[in-house]
Amino acid sequence: MVKSPSFKTTILFKKLMAEYYERGVASREKGIPIAWVTATFPVEIIYAAGLFPYYPENFGARIAARKVAGKISTAAEKQGYFPDLCAYARCSIGDAFSVEHPVGEILRPDVVFCSNAQCGTLQKWFEAAGRYYQVPFFLVDTPLIESTPTTLIKRYIVEQLHELLDFLELYTGDTFDFSRLAEVISLSNEACRLWSEILDMAALKPAPLGYFDACYHLAPIVALRGTKWAVDYYRELKNELEERLDNKVYVIPDEKYKLYFDHIPVWPRLRWFSDLLMEKKALAVASQYTHAWAWRFDLKRPLESLVKNYTEVFINRGYEYRIEQKISLMKEFNVDGFILFSNRSCKPKALGLYDKYHIISDRTGLPGVFFEADMSDERYFNEEHIKELFEDFFDRLEQKSS
Amino acid sequence: MPARKNAKSIYEDINKIVANPVRQIKRLKSRAVKIIGWVPTDVPEELIHAAGALPIGIVALDGPAVSRSTPHMQDWSCSLMRCALGMALDGSFDLLNGLIIPVICDTTRMITGIWKQTKPYVFMDNFLLPKQIDRPSAKDYLMGEMGRLKARLEQFMDRTITVSELCASIVLYNHNRSMMRKLFSFHVCHPELLGNRDIYNIIKASMLMPKELHTNMIAELLQLLEKKVDDNKTGENNYTVRLLLSGKVWEPPVIMNILDDLGVVSVGDDFCTGYRYIANDVPETGEPLKSLAVRQFNRLPIAAFAGKSGDRTNSIIKMVGETRADGVLFVHLKYCEPENYDYPMLRDDLSASGIPNFRIETEIGAAPTEKIFLQIKDFTEKLGGTVNG
Repeated sequence: MVKSPSFKTTILFKKLMAEYYERGVASREKGIPIAWVTATFPVEIIYAAGLFPYYPENFGARIAARKVAGKISTAAEKQGYFPDLCAYARCSIGDAFSVEHPVGEILRPDVVFCSNAQCGTLQKWFEAAGRYYQVPFFLVDTPLIESTPTTLIKRYIVEQLHELLDFLELYTGDTFDFSRLAEVISLSNEACRLWSEILDMAALKPAPLGYFDACYHLAPIVALRGTKWAVDYYRELKNELEERLDNKVYVIPDEKYKLYFDHIPVWPRLRWFSDLLMEKKALAVASQYTHAWAWRFDLKRPLESLVKNYTEVFINRGYEYRIEQKISLMKEFNVDGFILFSNRSCKPKALGLYDKYHIISDRTGLPGVFFEADMSDERYFNEEHIKELFEDFFDRLEQKSS
Repeated sequence: MPARKNAKSIYEDINKIVANPVRQIKRLKSRAVKIIGWVPTDVPEELIHAAGALPIGIVALDGPAVSRSTPHMQDWSCSLMRCALGMALDGSFDLLNGLIIPVICDTTRMITGIWKQTKPYVFMDNFLLPKQIDRPSAKDYLMGEMGRLKARLEQFMDRTITVSELCASIVLYNHNRSMMRKLFSFHVCHPELLGNRDIYNIIKASMLMPKELHTNMIAELLQLLEKKVDDNKTGENNYTVRLLLSGKVWEPPVIMNILDDLGVVSVGDDFCTGYRYIANDVPETGEPLKSLAVRQFNRLPIAAFAGKSGDRTNSIIKMVGETRADGVLFVHLKYCEPENYDYPMLRDDLSASGIPNFRIETEIGAAPTEKIFLQIKDFTEKLGGTVNG
């Protein structure tokens, strides 16, 4: 992120995302239904059915990055939605009740699709949206996978995908096109492969990109996965990163520390955190969040493969699995320390972190830091306190490495 | 069964159980049974009972225990779960042999891992209820999930649960629910004899004691109370306002005392620890696991589940009509996300239907009793009732 202005693909990114929103508006004019989807919904099915998938979570992140989450949220709060609810939801609801639209108006849905693999908040938020906009709400219910995925759960979700196909056939009036699904999945696979290879480059020392850069370039893998646009974009980004490596252009040329960041960033503070770390020549290089989109789909068993990837995503896993995955990423990226972010907007990520901090410290011997804030809403950001926590963390990091 | 002298002594027994769940667990443990706790809500207790264990609800809460969970849970999470974990950490549930936590929200989804880490029991289980309830897949899945829980219980208890045992447990639980419904109806007609705090304590106590004993106790109580009516000894009825209550739990319990003091009778609710717990039965014919699933899908709608058949607005409006309630009082725990998402539209829908409604926010371990009292008083006065206090 910090060095992103010098990325050539930044220009492409802005163009790509602007065109994505324009396509949404144009779709409505053409009579193509706007389908709200969640980040871990099997969007490939929605593309294959010919609908336009729209991501309110992405809308929430854009509002947050523009530093207006508090303001937009107020409009939702005036309607009786409480400030302790997820800020993405508050911003989405707030925008619907706002006169001003600092990042453009949220695209009204014709139909709402939701997977609760990430959280129960999405289920309630999207259910409320279905009621508010008076459109159908379809939930793919994804029970928690505490350790190993069971046949019962896998079968349940495959059955729900068949119900989804039935729903779509009735909704669109067309027979579902499985060959189109295979094409879309192939495009998802290619984008995910490129995304994964891009993330891997952060393991190099010094690295040509870090976690905050990955957050900046994340939107296409979330919102355009399953399209050629995402594949082209990440091919360009990867080429540029390879070029940077050839030319020895790094985020921090004299990079001293690599850090693990858990999990989502504080969007309005991307640069603030990046600068804070950079002062100490520290680069955040990995996170469960950015790695969540490194999926691999099996074209031979499309529905089962969609279920596997979207159900077994880290945020739908049990306590111990998640600790081990964090530690595994720490090892893979050879980090010197870790940062845990207790995000008020995300209980499925934040609850449990108090103990996990100690467990990870014990198992890895690495110094860590833990802070409380909100991913979007700066009203919960105590800058001075967080600075103090990080100063202490950097001291321990230096002691450990000396 | 020796006859008790009066209804008061039965209330006192019930109140003692609810006031001190730790002592109650100790008493039950002395009967040499295995005790399996369950966190609200919608855990099929009949399965636990049929396995030969005693199910105990984690429903009687000790407010000050909330702080025990502070090193493990954010203080911006639900106080119900923080209190439950806090009580476990202070040893209140040490005599439990196991614990079942249903995943009904993000906090219950996450607390199992924390609980297992900080205070593990020999048997721990996440009961994973389906969240969509309209489509056939939900029914198939719930049957499977019931079967999975049954198999785990059988393994833990080292015995098979036979069909006849499960059917017998279903009959036992149905009988208890049916008796409680009768008692609840009596409460609605005669709150001067059976007030809010008493009836809600009775429901809560049923989650903390063997059903056989509870059923006998309340059958006797009903007999005594009905006799008072027959003998024209009901006393003065100062209850002038009828409210339907809505929320997850009626915590802190002082809310019920406040309603009693103000002359407000609760005519129904969708609390997991209130009328919703007793509202419907398990069909006694057919395959018992399927019957348990049928009951689950027929239960009063709550915020955890999505689907047209579980439309909460319609359900509440219907209940208001059936109970002739003057209004709806939402009792919401602070930081309860499912309720907080439902509330604004429920409020508007009820208002649009001409149903007065009001929301109070509570937090276990931090109850601003005076504020709640004044809020409810103000609301009920607006309803036109001549409230006491």
